[in-house]
Amino acid sequence: MVGLSAGEKHFIQGGIAQDLRADGRKRLNYRPIYVETGVIPQADGSAKVKMGATEVIASVKLDLARPNPSQPGKGKVSLFVSCSATAGPMFEGRGSEELSTELSVALQRCLLGGKSGAGAAFDPSCLSIVDGKLCWDAYIDGLVVSADGNLLDALGAAIKAALTNTRVPVANVPAGASLDEDPDVDLSSQETTRIDTSGVPVIVTLTKVGRHYIVDATSEEESQMSSAVSVSINKERRICGLTKRGGAGLDPSIILDMISVASHVSEQLMNKLDSEIAAAEADEQDT
Amino acid sequence: MRGIQLSLNQTQRLRLQTALELLETLSSKASLNASVTVADNIPVNYEDGVLKYKPEIGDIIVGRVIEVAPKRWRLEINFIQDAVLMLSSMTLPDGIQRRRTAVDELNMRSIFEEIDVVCAEVRGFQHDGSLHLQARSQKYGKLERGQLLTIPPYLVKRRKQHFHHLEQYGVDLIIGCNGFIWVGEHVEAKDDMVVDDQVNKSEQHSSKSRNWTSLEEQEQTHTPAETRQNICRIANAIRVLSTLGFNVTLDVIMETVYLSSSLNLEIHEMLGAEFCVLVAESEAERRSSSAKRKG
Repeated sequence: MVGLSAGEKHFIQGGIAQDLRADGRKRLNYRPIYVETGVIPQADGSAKVKMGATEVIASVKLDLARPNPSQPGKGKVSLFVSCSATAGPMFEGRGSEELSTELSVALQRCLLGGKSGAGAAFDPSCLSIVDGKLCWDAYIDGLVVSADGNLLDALGAAIKAALTNTRVPVANVPAGASLDEDPDVDLSSQETTRIDTSGVPVIVTLTKVGRHYIVDATSEEESQMSSAVSVSINKERRICGLTKRGGAGLDPSIILDMISVASHVSEQLMNKLDSEIAAAEADEQDT
Repeated sequence: MRGIQLSLNQTQRLRLQTALELLETLSSKASLNASVTVADNIPVNYEDGVLKYKPEIGDIIVGRVIEVAPKRWRLEINFIQDAVLMLSSMTLPDGIQRRRTAVDELNMRSIFEEIDVVCAEVRGFQHDGSLHLQARSQKYGKLERGQLLTIPPYLVKRRKQHFHHLEQYGVDLIIGCNGFIWVGEHVEAKDDMVVDDQVNKSEQHSSKSRNWTSLEEQEQTHTPAETRQNICRIANAIRVLSTLGFNVTLDVIMETVYLSSSLNLEIHEMLGAEFCVLVAESEAERRSSSAKRKG
């Protein structure tokens, strides 16, 4: 990100104030979203999402493991995001650590639910094989390949697509086998089950520039922001997570207004994502 | 297919492929009695020097200031090396032709600061291969009130005119040979020097004390809505042409803009898949009809 001259900044702020951004979008329009699933064949589920010049990849890998004693009937889910050095020179070496941690924590809050597993994006009991003894551990990894703003929304969409793309292998455990040592698990059957992702929320980030909020900011627009609120909303229009970034303080009434705007926008985004993911899955099956 | 990653459905993909194939056959037919057989496709890495900007003396370029050095500015111009604009190659704000003094050197930032967008002409090459620029005429200088677009340099062909003042839109379009394109509100050439100085000074004052100017005051100096719409439409037209890999000239840009307004498309829809395919088809049609007229 090179920086913008005073004239360019003025132009961007003017555009947002007049509801006509630099690429012609209105304040609440998203950029064209491109979804491709199955991009990482070795992973159990993967997806690539492009929003304009922002490109992210999410993958889901499953490993056999022992479930948590406090939740014997559920698998464990962990989520981590990293930024590739190709995204920009500031991401080289350890430059991306702060951003990666911030994104990981925000996504964990939105998608993984509380300690008891309540409020998670999908029900982890679908990952259980033998109650109390054997389960799948799901490792969700996000990678930022190219950063042009709105990374959180793109990662949320990619994770949703990757989970939809995930095929959980059906494990046959021979009856009566002792599971206290390493059991003989039969994974030879090619059958797979899918994860129910109807409850997975989408993330809508509203960036406040001047007096107005915009959705899907490019990195140029983000450089002009005073604050940003990311709301994660599911199909039932319920809030699953909420994050605020930026040093400027916000009046509580503005936050409530931003939440209602985000909730309104989330419906369109959810429908668009669902149709794009379905199309991508259909494409993948054809090839 | 060049890896154009848009969500095209099946029909759109077919249409785009047909249009691009037609364009390829047309371009090879241009050499009248030759026949072209494609034997092998060599994938080219676009980052290589093969497709970089190849500067020539007299090129009009748009660059961004990255450093203010003693008696010169260093500009980033989408080239392997940064270009140099000497203080002596730049018209002074008062327009008088005189020797640059030490005071002029101290006041360089009042002309161009870091991150400013500047339009200049290539004067020559330095001994180490970097470019020497000059901005002596009224039409060169700082660019504000608009947006800067970056496209691959090989899409810009050298023409007689690179500055275009589009009167019916009130927009200035500068097609830099280095792949930087400026689309902005029309600014009169600095005939009235004194007035401009005052405007510059008041703009500087307001930019320094931006924390204190209220939002209303800023809003009054914003670009008018209609001009902004034209700027965005033209910028999107350039973006689509760059995605498709077509040469960016004034004619093609205007054709694309007419196409989008005749279809009554919303400006942001110009970046979608459907418009991209339509542009490819209309360009194929245009070239095949002009080829038929010639041959």
